[in-house]
This record gives sequence, C-alpha cells and structure tokens, in this order.
Amino acid sequence: MALFMNSLKHRIAEASGLPKDVLLGQPILTVLGCMEVGIENYRGIIEYTDDLVRLQTKAGQIRIAGKALHIEYYTNDDMKVTGHITSIEYQ
Amino acid sequence: MLQRAFQYVRGYLRIRVAGYGTERFLNACRHRGIKLWDMKPCGDSYEMSISISGFRRIRPIVRKTGTKAVIVSRVGLPFFLYSYRKRKLFFVGAAACLLFIFALSRFIWSIDIRGNLARTDETLLEFLESRDVKNGMRISDINCGQIVKDIRKEYNDIIWVSASVEGTRLIVQIKENQDAIQARSSGEEGMEGEGFTDPVDIVADKDCVITDIITRKGVPMVKEGAQVKEGDILVSGQVPVNNDAGETVSYHYQESDADITGQASIEYLDSQSLSYEEKKRYDIKRMEYYVRIADFRFCFAGIRNEYEHFEQYSREEQVKLFDNFYLPIYFGSRWAIPYEPEEKAYKQEEYQRLLSGRFFQYCEDLEKKGVEIIENDVKIYRGKESAEAKGILTVAMPVGTKKPSALAELPEDGAEGQTGEEDGNDGNGD
Repeated sequence: MALFMNSLKHRIAEASGLPKDVLLGQPILTVLGCMEVGIENYRGIIEYTDDLVRLQTKAGQIRIAGKALHIEYYTNDDMKVTGHITSIEYQ
Repeated sequence: MLQRAFQYVRGYLRIRVAGYGTERFLNACRHRGIKLWDMKPCGDSYEMSISISGFRRIRPIVRKTGTKAVIVSRVGLPFFLYSYRKRKLFFVGAAACLLFIFALSRFIWSIDIRGNLARTDETLLEFLESRDVKNGMRISDINCGQIVKDIRKEYNDIIWVSASVEGTRLIVQIKENQDAIQARSSGEEGMEGEGFTDPVDIVADKDCVITDIITRKGVPMVKEGAQVKEGDILVSGQVPVNNDAGETVSYHYQESDADITGQASIEYLDSQSLSYEEKKRYDIKRMEYYVRIADFRFCFAGIRNEYEHFEQYSREEQVKLFDNFYLPIYFGSRWAIPYEPEEKAYKQEEYQRLLSGRFFQYCEDLEKKGVEIIENDVKIYRGKESAEAKGILTVAMPVGTKKPSALAELPEDGAEGQTGEEDGNDGNGD
C-alpha cells in the first residue's frame, strides 16, 4: 500500500511539474567537495559523533561518515555539516 | 562575516549539553525554532552556541530530555559592557568619541578635484577658497550648484563641472576642453566669449615673408611674397559694402579666419653652465613622525641636524574611517638626508649632449606647433664659464594672431547720404 502511495505521489509530481522535494518531502543534499554538505528536509539527528552524523529523513536514514565532523548550524529548515567527509549513505 | 558581527553585537552563549538524550535535545530545539550553531561533540556531550533568547527557552527542553546544559562562556557586546559597567569613564569616553565623530561628520574635511590637466589642484583650491569653499566648512553651507556655476564662469576652457558631497568629502569633477588649451597657448587668449559682434583682424605676430594665405573670412590685405612687419594687418575683419558707384557705404563686421604661412627667422640661444654641483649624500637619515590636527603638529623625534646642507622629504596621509569619511587628522613623516656639495665640471661631450638634446627638443616642439624648419645654422660655442648653442633658424610657420579691429571711418559723402536717407525714411514713415 505504502509502495503504491509513493508511486502515485511520484506520478502526480511528474505530471504536475511541481518540485519533488516539496511534494514528496524528499531530503536535499548539497555537497561541496568532500568538506561540506548542506541538508534540507530532514526530521532530526539520530546520532552525532566526531566521525558520524546520522539523520532521519522522510526517505529513511542518511549516514554521513568522515573525520572531525562539525555542525556549522542546525535550524528548523536546514543544517550544514563540515569536516572531512568520506561517505554519504542512504539506509 | 556580517552574521558573525551581528551575533557578537547581540551576544551569545557557548553551552555544553550532556546527558542521556542529547540528540533529543537537539531535535527539540530545532522543533521549537531555537537556532544552534558551531556544534561539536565533546566526549559524551556536545558543545554549541546559542542566542541569549534561545537559552531562556531551553529550560523545559532540558527537563523533558533529562539533559544538563552548562554555560561554558559568554561572548558578545552585552557581556562585555556588563563586565565593564563600573568603569564610568570608559562609557563617557566612548560616548564623547561618538559625539565627536558625529560633530566632525557635519563638516567638509577633504576636497577632491578630478579630471584637471591644465590647472593644478592648488589653483582650483585657491579659487574655491576665494568663493568661501574650503576645508572645515559646514556641509549644510555647501551649494554644489553655485560651485559648478562659479567654476564654469571663471574658467572658459572647463566645459563640464560636477560637484557632489560624499561623506565628509567634496568631490569636484571637471572636464577640460583640450582644443581650448591649444588655442590659448597659441595666443588667442581673450577672444572667446565676446560675442564676435565686433570686427577682429588677423595681424602679423612677427616679421616675415608671406608664403601662403588662404582666407575663409575677412578681406586679405597681403599677397603671397609680401614682406610684413610685426603688427601689420594680414586679414581685415571689416568687409566693405560698396554701392553701385563703387563707394563704400558701410562695413560688414566679421571675425577674420585664415590660414597664413610665413617664412621667418628665429634666433635660438641656449646656454649651459660648465660646472655643476654634485650632491655627495651621507649615509645618515633623520626621521621625524608627526600627528597633525588642523594646524597643530605633534612631533616625535626630530630632523634637526648639524649639517649645513640637507635634503628634506615629507609624506602625509589623512585619516579616514571609511572611503569618504575623512577626518581633520593627518599622520606624516619627514626625513632629512645630509649631503656635501661638490663642484664638478662638464666634459666637452657632456655639455654638447645637453645642449643638443635641448635643441632637438625645441625643434620637436616647433614641429608639433606646425612649424617647418627650412634652414638651421645653430652651433655650439664654448665660453669661459658656460657653453652656448646659438644661431638662426629659418622656418615656415603659421603666422597671425587675432586682434580687435580699429573701426574704419566711412567716407563722409556716403555717411551723410546714408543718414539723409534714413531721415527721409523716418519722415515718410511719420
């Protein structure tokens, strides 16, 4: 059922031409090299250590691994993680 | 950068949050719209920055999430002022400083003149001062429109002027008419702006033989091959109007215009002293630094020295807060370098090179003015104390300078006839 709803929403988004991030609530990741990543449309932080930031989003968890990770800012709309990023995984 | 400055002005706290549900604390802050920044893990806790208003709202979150928030440091202007609240003189000084700067911002402290090539800044500044526009005057007293009018009225060759006040600086931008500068240099000064209703002749400005004359306006008074003397009229600005009998009844006045070339002789004389003074500088430099406020100068160290001869240099800079916020405070330095003068004599090739260089420069300048050199017998002669380059240059050059014409009297008969006719007409009209 959930799969069907997702597929339907996806089709509506395609047909209407509206931005998918708004309609589907999908996270937006803006990555600058391996030193900076900006995230929008997230739900919250699950885990945060020096070498791992785990975030909850509507599409599942995002795992940002690296070294000396630093959250530059953390607001209701977006957040920015800086440091030496080695991997970004969707779970 | 600007955001950092705002954060500093508003003040913020650096807090450390520890406990079991620290991530919950972060999410709850986000949910309530409390901004957190500069977050970093610190062992089992997190350290982050939070605004003062945000910190006042985290008490229920801390209680709910079972965490503990400890202030690590307080940063920003509100805390700085609070810690120095007992130093009243500091606040008095800061207020006085602000007041002083505010008071200074009401006056002009720098006049910047741009676009002037023929006239120096000093000349224009002197002129502005004569019109009571000077450093130290109130900005509210400045009438930019009047400044523009005054400059345009005073200088004919300045074709465009703009005056504007930016900060504590008066910026005067001008544009000069390059053609007018050339005309002025070739001796046509004073002919502009007179309306040209009066006749203007072209008179010979030196003795010469006319080789070519093309008249555009006026009556040519000489022909090719004529020998003229300085002051002779070459083209008259009074064009006679003749009646059927060939008598001159009136004159049509014009400003004469013609291209006249004449062959003339120019005497050239240039001398060069055979000795010169060479400065043998000592390896000594006396520095002086100073702060100048209006006419008061506070010096540090000094350039006084016991040497008889010394060169003195100086450099000065005006203090400004921003690009255009100049203050009447100047920082500068002066330095003196003593030297021993030594008398030396030029060798033959040296003085020859100097004199020839100057002569060639003179010839180049003549050619730029449209003068063609036909013959040249300038030679270098050596005297006891000086060497001279002298001789005569035969040149073909533009001759003639404009001069207001002396009005010619009409022949008596014609004048009477004309008057009578006018009277008659008047009579008929009545």
